[in-house]
Amino acid sequence: MDTAFKGEHLLPGHLGQFFIILAFGSALLSAISYYFATTSTNKLDKSWFFLGRISFFVNSLSVVSIGACLFYIIYNNLFEYHYAWAHSSRKLPVYYIISSYWEGQEGSFWLWGFWQAVLGNLMIWKAKTFEKPVMTVIALSQTLLASMLIGVELFGTRVGSSPFILLRQAIEGPIFSRPDYLTFIKDGNGLNPLLQNYWMVIHPPTLFLGFASMVIPFAYAVAGLWQRRYKEWVQPAISYALFAVMVLGTGIIMGSFWAYESLNFGGFWAWDPVENASVIPWLTLIAAVHVLIVYKNTGHSYFTATFLVLISFVLVLYASFLTRSGILGETSVHAFTDLGMKWHLVIDVLIFLAICIYLVVSRWKELPITKKDEETYSREFWMFVGAIFLGLSCFHLTLVTSIPVWNWIFGTKLAPPTEPIKHYNVIQASFAVVVTLLTGFAQFLKYKKTDSARFFITAVVYLVFSVLVGGLIIYVTGIYKLHFVFSLVMMGAVFTVLANAKVLADVLKGKVKLAGSAVAHIGFGLILVGALIAAGTSTVVSQNNSGIGYGDEFAKTSNPKENIMLYKNQPIQMGGYTVTYFGDSVVAPNHYFKVDYKKINAAGKVTEEFVLKPNSQANNKMGLVSSPDTKHYLFHDLYTHVTMAPIKADLDGEDGGHSETDDDKNYDAPVSHEVAVGDTIRFREGFMVLKSLNKESHVENIPLKGTDVAVGAAFEIFSHEKTYKAEPVFMIKGGNAFDFARKVDDAGLKLRFSKIIPEQNKVEIQVFQQPESKKPYIVMKAINFPYINFFWSGTIIMVIGFLMSIFRRNKELRIAEANAESKSAKPGKLQKA
Amino acid sequence: MKKSSIIGIIVIAVAIAVIISTYSSSSTYGSFKDAAKTTSSLQVVGHLVKDKQLYYDAHKDANYFSFYMTDNKGQECKIVFTGTKPQDFERSEQIVLTGQMQGNEFHASKILMKCPSKYTQDKVEITETKAKTANI
Repeated sequence: MDTAFKGEHLLPGHLGQFFIILAFGSALLSAISYYFATTSTNKLDKSWFFLGRISFFVNSLSVVSIGACLFYIIYNNLFEYHYAWAHSSRKLPVYYIISSYWEGQEGSFWLWGFWQAVLGNLMIWKAKTFEKPVMTVIALSQTLLASMLIGVELFGTRVGSSPFILLRQAIEGPIFSRPDYLTFIKDGNGLNPLLQNYWMVIHPPTLFLGFASMVIPFAYAVAGLWQRRYKEWVQPAISYALFAVMVLGTGIIMGSFWAYESLNFGGFWAWDPVENASVIPWLTLIAAVHVLIVYKNTGHSYFTATFLVLISFVLVLYASFLTRSGILGETSVHAFTDLGMKWHLVIDVLIFLAICIYLVVSRWKELPITKKDEETYSREFWMFVGAIFLGLSCFHLTLVTSIPVWNWIFGTKLAPPTEPIKHYNVIQASFAVVVTLLTGFAQFLKYKKTDSARFFITAVVYLVFSVLVGGLIIYVTGIYKLHFVFSLVMMGAVFTVLANAKVLADVLKGKVKLAGSAVAHIGFGLILVGALIAAGTSTVVSQNNSGIGYGDEFAKTSNPKENIMLYKNQPIQMGGYTVTYFGDSVVAPNHYFKVDYKKINAAGKVTEEFVLKPNSQANNKMGLVSSPDTKHYLFHDLYTHVTMAPIKADLDGEDGGHSETDDDKNYDAPVSHEVAVGDTIRFREGFMVLKSLNKESHVENIPLKGTDVAVGAAFEIFSHEKTYKAEPVFMIKGGNAFDFARKVDDAGLKLRFSKIIPEQNKVEIQVFQQPESKKPYIVMKAINFPYINFFWSGTIIMVIGFLMSIFRRNKELRIAEANAESKSAKPGKLQKA
Repeated sequence: MKKSSIIGIIVIAVAIAVIISTYSSSSTYGSFKDAAKTTSSLQVVGHLVKDKQLYYDAHKDANYFSFYMTDNKGQECKIVFTGTKPQDFERSEQIVLTGQMQGNEFHASKILMKCPSKYTQDKVEITETKAKTANI
C-alpha cells in the first residue's frame, strides 16, 4: 500500500477510528474502576469512583463523536469509505441519511451504544447508592458493544467491524491499485428503497432504545445479588423494566406498522425470525415486571423474578446473535449477513450468562426465598401463574426460531415448520388463551387474599358476558371458520378488556393506583382482538381466475390466484369495486401507479370513488421494489400493492435513441382509412371521428415559408368511456411531404396523416394500435384487512397504560426513598449527639 | 402437595408438549426424490438453473411463474409457482422452496431466496466497477 491515493479524505475516518478505540478503552476503564469502587472497603477513597464516572463521560463523548464522524462521511458523500458507499448515494435526501446509519450492522451497534451511553448517564444521575454496581454492569456492556466496532486484527482474526473502513480495504479489485481510483467511484450503492420510509427513521431508534434500556433492570438485579441488597433493587427495577417494556413494545409495533405500510408481504406480522427475535426478550421482561410486583407485594417468587430479569437481558444479546451472525440465512428474508462476528456475538452472550449463573449459584443460600405456600385466592398467585405462561410462550418462540442454531450446535438438518405462520399462530394462540383468561380473572382477586364466593360470582358473570360478546364478534367476523383456538383467544381477549374495564370503573371511585395496569391490559386485549380479526379474516380482494389455462393439472392444484392484471384504462370488476389503472406519476425514483376504485350501486350510480397510488421503484440493485398504498376506513383497510409492472424504462432513461421505425414496432401493423370530415373510424377499443381539417396547423420549431403547407386532422377519440383529442399533421415543405404522427398513449393509439386525396376531398389516415402485450399494465394484489384499527389503537392504549404505571411506581419509589432517608437520618443524629 | 410443585409439574408438562409439537411440525429439507414419494408438502433447497427459461407472462396469466431448479443432490426439476415472479429472482444464489410434487412438476407455495446482490454484498458491484474501467 505504498500508492498515494488521490482525493481521499482520511481525516474523518482516522478521527472516527480514534474515537472507537477511545470509546472501547474508556468503557473498559470505567467498568474496571466502577468494579473496584464497588468492592473497595475504604469508604473515604473515592478515586476509583471518580475515575469510573470520568471515563464513562469520556466514553459518552467518544460515542457521540463516532456518530458525528460517520455523519460527516455520509453527508459529504465520501465514497472512499465503505459504509458511505454501501449505504448511501448522492441522490439520497438528507433526512434519509439517518436511515442509512442503521442499514448496516455497524451503524445499528453504534445506535445501541449511543442509547446505552445516554442511559448510563441517567443512572449516574439517578441511581444514587446503586450507582457503582449498576454502572459496573452498564460499562461492561458498553465495552462489549464498542468492541463490536473496533475492526482491528488481533491474533489473526478481525475483531468487530468498523464503520470507518475504506472501500479499497473492504473490497478486492484491480481498480484499487490505481492512485486515481476515486474518480471512477461516482456514486454509492444507495439506501435500500424499502428503508426510504419515514417509519424507518423512527422505528430503529425506538427499538434500540428498548433493547438498550433492558440493561438497567438487569444491572439492578446483578447489583442486588452482588451487593447482597436482595430486596432493595426490586423497586427501582420495576420502573425501568416498565420503561423498557413500553419502549421495546412500541418499537416492535412500529416495525410491524412499517411492514404493513411499506413492505409487500401483505400483513403486519409474519413470524419472521427477525421479528421473533425482538419479541422474545419482550415476553420475558413483561413476565418479569409482573413477578417483580408479586415479590414486592407478598415476598413470594423472589427467584422467578430475578431469573426473568436476568434472562431477559441475556435474551436481548441472544437475539442480536440470531439476527447479526448470519445464522438465520436459510429461514429469514431479512436477517443481516455474517460479518465474521459469529463467535464475538456468542462470547458476548456467554459472558453475561456466566455472570448470571455465578451470582445466582454463589448467593443461592442467601436469597430471600419463602417457604410459605401462596394464597390460592390472591391476585399475586395468579399473576405469577400468568407470568409463567408468558415465559412458556417465549420458550416456544425461542425454540422454533432457534432451529438453525440447533442445527449448528448439534449438526442436525432440521427445517422450520413448512407452514410456520400457522404453526406459530396456533401454539402462541393457545398460550394467549391462558394469559388472557388470567389477565381477566386476576382483576377480580385482591392483593393477598379474597373472599372466594364473591370472587366466583363476579368472575363468572363477567366470563359469561365475555363469551356472549366474544361469540357475537366471532360470528359476525367469521373467526369461527378458523381453528377453534382463535375463537377461544377472542373470548379471552374480550374477557381481559371487560374485566379491566371494571377495574378502570373502580378507579373513578377512587382506587387510582390500578389505573395504569388496567389501561395497559385493555390495550393488550384490544391488540389481540384487532390482530385476530385482521389477520384471521383478511381476504384477498383481487382473486382472479382469468388467466388462460396452463393445463388442468395447474388449475386444480393452484391456490386461488391472488394477483390481478390491469391494462391501462380498462376497468375490471374486483370484489365489489370497479378498478381502473388510469395513469402514472413519476417522482424519481418512485413510480406511482394511479388506480381508481369505484363502487357502483345497482342503479349505476357511483357511490364511492377513491384513488390509490401504490408505487414501485425499478432499482438497479434490487429490481422492482414495490410499496403498497392503503385506503383506511374506520373499520377496515383496503391494501393494494403492485407485484409486477413493466417499468424497466424508468431505469435506462428514455433517451432519444428510438427512431421512428423502432417506435412502430410497438404497434400492430397499421390500418389505412380514407376518410372525409365527419367520418368515423372504428378500432378495437373504440372509435374516432374526424372533426375538421385544420389548414392553419403548424408544428413547433418548423417555420413555414411561401408555398409550404401544413394540414392537421383534428380527431376526437372515444375509448373506454373516455374522450381524447389528437391532431396528426401533414406537411409539404420545400416540395417534400412530411407527416407528424400523434400518439394517444392512454388509448394505445398512434395516428398518421399520410396522404391528402384532393380529388375525393378525403385524407388517408393510418391507425396504429398497440397490441395487448405492448400496452402498459400492472399486476396487483389487493387485500382487505377488517378491524385492523383495534390493533393500532390497542397499542396506543397499552403505551398510555405503561406510562401511567411508570409514574405510579416512580411516585412510590420517591416515597419509599424519603422514608428510608428519614429513618437513616435518625440514628445519624443520635451518633452526633 | 405444595402449589409450587404443582406449578412446576405443569410447567414441565407444557414445556415437553411444546418441544414435541415443535419437533413434530418441524420438517427436514428434502430433495425432489423425497418430494415424489410423499403427498405432504416439504422444503427443498437448491439452485436456480440459470441457462433454462424463466417463464412469466403477465398477459397470459398473472399468477403463473415457472423455472427450473436443481436440488442439492443435483436433480433438476421444473417448478411452478402460483404468483408473480419474485423481485430479482435471476440473481438468486440459493432457493428454499415449500411445496409438493404434481406429476413431474414441483408446485411451490412459497419461495425464499438468498440474494448475493442485495445491498450488503459487494461482489456484484465490483464487476460493474471493472466494466467502467474497461470503457476508458
